[in-house]
Amino acid sequence: MLAYILKRLAALVPILIGLTIIVFLMLALIPGGTAVAILGPLASPENIAKVNKELGLDQPLIDQYLTWMGNLLHGDMGRSYSLKRPVIDEVFERFSATLILAGTSLVLCSFFGLLAGIVSAVRQFGWTDRIVTFFVLIGISTPSFWLGLLLIMLFAVDLRWLPASGMYEVYGGGGLGDLLRHLILPSITLAVVATGVIARLTRAAMLEVLRQDYIRTARAKGLTERRVIYRHAFKAALVTVIPLIGVQTGLVLGGAVYIETVFQWPGIGRMLVDAISTRDILLVQGGVLVLAVSYVLFNLLADIIQTVLDPRLKS
Amino acid sequence: MTAVSQPAAPQAPGTRSARPGSFRLLVNNRLAALGLVVLGLIVVVVLITPLLPLQNPDVTETANRLLRPGTPGHILGTDHLGRDLLSRLLWGTRVSIAVGLSATAIAAFFGSLIGLVAGYFGGRADAILMRSIDMLMAFPYILLALGIVAVLGPGLLNALYAIAIVNIPFFARNIRGVTRGLSRREFVDAARLSGKGHAGILFTEVLPNVLPVIVITMSSTVGWMILETAGLSFLGLGAQPPLADLGSMLGEGRKLLFTAPHVSVIPGVMIFALVMSINLVGDGIRDVLDPRLRSGALARPSARTRIDRRRVPPMPARASGSALDVVALETEFQVGDAVHRAVGGVSLDLGDEECLGLVGESGSGKSVTAMSILGLVATPPGTIVGGRVIFGSEDILEVSNETLRRLRGDRISMIFQDPLSTLHPLFTVGDQIAEAIRAHRPVSFAEAWKQAVQLLELVRIPGPKERANSYPHELSGGMRQRICIAMALANDSSVLIADEPTTALDVTVQAQVLRLLDDLRRDKGAAVLFITHDFGVVSEICDRVAVMYAGRIVELGTTEDVLSRPAHPYTRKLIDCVPILGEPERRLDAIEGLPPKVDRLPPGCAFADRCPQVRTNCRTGDIPFDDLGGGRKARCLYPLVEVAA
Amino acid sequence: MSPLFRNTLAGMAFAALATGAVSAPALAQTPPNVLIVGQIAEPKSLDPSVDTAVNDFRILMNMYDGLVRYKDGTLEPEPALAKSWDISDDGLTYTFHLRDGVKFHDGTPFNADAVKFTFDRMLDKDNPYYDTGPFPLAFFFSAIDSVTAVDDSTVTFKLKEPYAPFLSNLAYPTGLIVSPAAVKQYGKDFGRHPSGTGPFKFEEWDSNTKVVVSRNDDYWDGAPPLDAVVFRPITDANTRVAEMLSGGIDLMVEVPPDNLKQFQDDPNFKVYEQAGPHVWFLILNAKEGPFADKRVRQAVNYAIDKKSLVDNVLQGTAEVAAGPTPPAFAWAYDNKLQPYPYDPEKARQLLKEAGAEGAELTFYVTEGGSGMLDPVAMATAIQADLAKVGLKVNIKTFEWNTFLGEVNPGLAGKADMAEMAWMTNDPDTLPYLALRTGAFPDKGGFNSGYYSNPKVDALLEKARTSTDQAERAKLYKQMQEIVHDDAPWAFIANWKQNAVSTAAVKDFSLQPSFFLILRDVSKG
Repeated sequence: MLAYILKRLAALVPILIGLTIIVFLMLALIPGGTAVAILGPLASPENIAKVNKELGLDQPLIDQYLTWMGNLLHGDMGRSYSLKRPVIDEVFERFSATLILAGTSLVLCSFFGLLAGIVSAVRQFGWTDRIVTFFVLIGISTPSFWLGLLLIMLFAVDLRWLPASGMYEVYGGGGLGDLLRHLILPSITLAVVATGVIARLTRAAMLEVLRQDYIRTARAKGLTERRVIYRHAFKAALVTVIPLIGVQTGLVLGGAVYIETVFQWPGIGRMLVDAISTRDILLVQGGVLVLAVSYVLFNLLADIIQTVLDPRLKS
Repeated sequence: MTAVSQPAAPQAPGTRSARPGSFRLLVNNRLAALGLVVLGLIVVVVLITPLLPLQNPDVTETANRLLRPGTPGHILGTDHLGRDLLSRLLWGTRVSIAVGLSATAIAAFFGSLIGLVAGYFGGRADAILMRSIDMLMAFPYILLALGIVAVLGPGLLNALYAIAIVNIPFFARNIRGVTRGLSRREFVDAARLSGKGHAGILFTEVLPNVLPVIVITMSSTVGWMILETAGLSFLGLGAQPPLADLGSMLGEGRKLLFTAPHVSVIPGVMIFALVMSINLVGDGIRDVLDPRLRSGALARPSARTRIDRRRVPPMPARASGSALDVVALETEFQVGDAVHRAVGGVSLDLGDEECLGLVGESGSGKSVTAMSILGLVATPPGTIVGGRVIFGSEDILEVSNETLRRLRGDRISMIFQDPLSTLHPLFTVGDQIAEAIRAHRPVSFAEAWKQAVQLLELVRIPGPKERANSYPHELSGGMRQRICIAMALANDSSVLIADEPTTALDVTVQAQVLRLLDDLRRDKGAAVLFITHDFGVVSEICDRVAVMYAGRIVELGTTEDVLSRPAHPYTRKLIDCVPILGEPERRLDAIEGLPPKVDRLPPGCAFADRCPQVRTNCRTGDIPFDDLGGGRKARCLYPLVEVAA
Repeated sequence: MSPLFRNTLAGMAFAALATGAVSAPALAQTPPNVLIVGQIAEPKSLDPSVDTAVNDFRILMNMYDGLVRYKDGTLEPEPALAKSWDISDDGLTYTFHLRDGVKFHDGTPFNADAVKFTFDRMLDKDNPYYDTGPFPLAFFFSAIDSVTAVDDSTVTFKLKEPYAPFLSNLAYPTGLIVSPAAVKQYGKDFGRHPSGTGPFKFEEWDSNTKVVVSRNDDYWDGAPPLDAVVFRPITDANTRVAEMLSGGIDLMVEVPPDNLKQFQDDPNFKVYEQAGPHVWFLILNAKEGPFADKRVRQAVNYAIDKKSLVDNVLQGTAEVAAGPTPPAFAWAYDNKLQPYPYDPEKARQLLKEAGAEGAELTFYVTEGGSGMLDPVAMATAIQADLAKVGLKVNIKTFEWNTFLGEVNPGLAGKADMAEMAWMTNDPDTLPYLALRTGAFPDKGGFNSGYYSNPKVDALLEKARTSTDQAERAKLYKQMQEIVHDDAPWAFIANWKQNAVSTAAVKDFSLQPSFFLILRDVSKG
């Protein structure tokens, strides 16, 4: 198991290197430069040239890239031009906010998705299946950004049950209850699409499993239907679905950008969008790196869970 | 176990296909039908949009801004610049659909190409391509899309490219998976041997088989692509004014959510309806292309076979003294329009502690009979339509589900054919046996585990304590089957139904397992219903044997009697088929013809077409199961054996 | 329905109800005597010498003081950290007499050395703290030759040449005085550890969440009534409105025009409006393409229905602009100047004369940005107006920073027209930076449309170095007439900035400078 994990971690490295190269090139190609972003609307070409020289942006790209890589290996992600603070500080602050949001969403969408999938498979073609299918379809057909606004309008403005935005109360806030209250709307909005996808996948996997011979054996042994579904069928279906949940984390992390915008959640998605618009290369690099690593680690986790569940995969 | 056999003979002209046609399948699925209707409506309307008498969607009349729906002259109202919403909605939907389809097509094309090449060639090409794809996938997709748009500049076309590029990995992975599986198949090897070049094979052999997967993947991503493009437009990076798609309309209307919600609600509803209907239709297409749905086997089997009996024979007046009594059992399968009478009236009596063999070819209905007893026939499509199964003094076809559950695995146990697929791959064998015990007796897990180990010893598994912690895939076939036997014996059942338990095993192992089974059933005093197609096995352990053909018992008697002097011509032919070691001169007669299809049984004797001694009255009327005396019975008007009554 | 499923549903419903029941009363209020302000963006830095955006200024003006500040409701400088000042007759020497006993928030004393430090840091390349920049707006003080601390309470500025806007620029955020001790301690990170002399002192800055400042009890002008102010960046306008409506914030600036009426009709809210020195215009490429001809530029000014734009698209939150100088500069504004009337016929006629009928134009548009109002909607309306006179306009939208990157280096070879807006503090600033021949982009200016008229250049030079306001006024009025006629821009609108607060907020008013002055505000 340890060897397997190490092997997978090692496979991360070329992927990450490739990623950083892509980001570098991408940012270099975007018209407009970092200097304009720093200096603002009154940036004249001579000021821009001054800034470029100061910040080493007039070096060839390759040199910039190598310098960055060198620093990274020493644990230094550089200093953000636009925010004037170390990239590492900003990235990890913002990332933990996104982690809370995305993590909660993933838990929600996994739990409800799996449950909905099981129920709809077990009651195939029954009324419960139809209702669940209907909601699932709504979930995957609704633009999440729009849904977020509707929810704010309903729950924050009309009903005043929940806060409209932000992660904590700004004055005298903090604490778990405060966080949870602020987490409800954004995490639900973010989870909606992924829940739908997971529900469908689970349903399909369950149907597939329920037709297998070992389910018939379980029944022949005289096990209760409940045990057959949840212990035998679900476990086998889970093995197929878990890696797909891993893939969903990409969607959740990506969709977080819209949610973070609408709900003013101080997350890394929003940070990256702003960083792209200010062409803050170091910040983008740092952010993408952290996001990509977490995505790959999530998938690794999913694969490990799958291996734990399914002993056949060890060999 | 397949319930439905492949049709071998061509269909008689004029008869309707037993398989549901594609369109009917699609339409039968009501949700898909709804989606089709909505989608069709939308598509038709946007196609004729240029012909409709609509107002110009780009003309601004700022004095008329934010008129509510229902205002004369503007059915859906106006937006914040006074432009007619109905007109903008229809034109915008055109754009959204066009963009969604194009992005899907592009992503499908390039993604499938990459997937095909990677899956087919494998090795280095595969590694490089998939690494690149992984890299692309590790990138947060929205960031990639934003970056691409930032580089290329805003605009609907660039947003389209961005979305297409971002979705290529999805196609690539899916297609690669399928291609990999196909590339190892025999028909590809055959094509290679026949001299076809790689490109030729890829496009003429592999691609047609992969195409359904491509279509399915496309149908499930079109909706998503429309949403993603809308997202980019929502952020202002997609459609540029005055061009609008549904996403940019949503974005514009967003600011007015509190004051004039109709400006965003209307495009929101449209995009929702569009994507929803596409998803519904996509699901329908997926179901249609799935070959399993065509054969009617996609539905989830329920916990117990459906019982809908047309003919119920009376309960016997007194207890017969047999362990299990099957009376005139009839089981049918409904596939499309056809009704397959797999079991057409079978009566068996299984005596206490006896071993009764049930012999027949594939498709004769023997397995279905065995499964019907415990209600394990898959429903849909199976239904028990007649007869009784009497155990003790009850007809277990009439008992509650809970009562049946208590009988299963406790009083009546089953052993199945393929131990690898019948054992759960994710639980240890000890766990599975212990589970069988604890399902019916209130013992602790530790106690049940101990008993499981003892059972393993009983079935002669070496090192039972360690073995109990193994998983099925770690054991050999013979050992697995022993475990199945152990599971069946866990609760000292009085009846064991063994459905071809040794067919999947090597010959040497077969003998061992048979011996084991025989010894055990004698020790435990259990009655065994032994299903097989192999007379050799029958002669080993069965006391009596029943022969099945086309869903009915055609001969019954002691093993010795039936094997040495078969009464039914079919039995005779069957025995003649079996090669006997040491008799090389023995003529092996294959039986001409094929068994009849059980959805179209001819009147009279089902064996008539293949019987060497058929006579005219064999083909009319129902052939009764005659008692030939001495416990022998045969369903033949002219049995080969005359026994004194 | 499986029992598990049923139980889960019940649990969720219960939790939802419970949360609702418990939180319903609690969420309606913000903390008493703490003002929560909804900002439009996250601040870049809290170092006044470094910032350029109005969004940042709103915070800075409450944490720092300058030598002078704008009198309430006007753009006229009044004493702040300087009690009084003398200007030499030749206009080259300014002597400021500083207030005594003022301390920075970090405890160090405010004195002439601090003033010298602040300006030397920005202007002297050899200053050891010059690298804590860059200082994009330092050119406001490029006229300074030297700064001398005569004694603790007196500081002298020597200018290279007379510079009329000097005092006004000192009231601008770039002229706010920073604590030398704090800069020395934090160096480049000073922007995140600010220290000034203002009515509020810095408490914390939580990235993308809040900036908290608390009352400075020792403030030289009297401690402010509020305990603290929290600046919340809420970039999404909709969410900002939602927060306002749901009671999450007390004060909000830059209210979307379409929501203004909602707040105006609601007695729980107060709406504020104030005209400021703001101009929204279209830069026209006078170097090449159709706009090289003056008639085409004028045609565009006739073709756009500015009144409709301002009334309908901007919902009355702006006035039609007549020329390059906004009426907020009352003393310099040419009252006799009339905006181009809406006359599509005249426009067509001019186009015909110039042979530019049916011309195709590339229009650079931005999605947002300080003072850009509703740039996409306005651009769309303009596009439609121009289409009515036969001009085909192709819009290209850019995110704000990208947009600036495209427009500031000049429109040559790229576009025919681009949106732009400026908010300034002196009638000199905008024309000097954007209408002079010497302000072409390659010379470091912002004249992206390459407009050039030597008469205008001369007027501007003269007005800038004049020391007599009446004379300056005359010169600017002349300039406005010429520019109005030359039409290097399509003059569209002057913004009436607005803000909304809850009814509990007292003594708040918007300033023509666009700054958010909170030292007199109370809640209760």
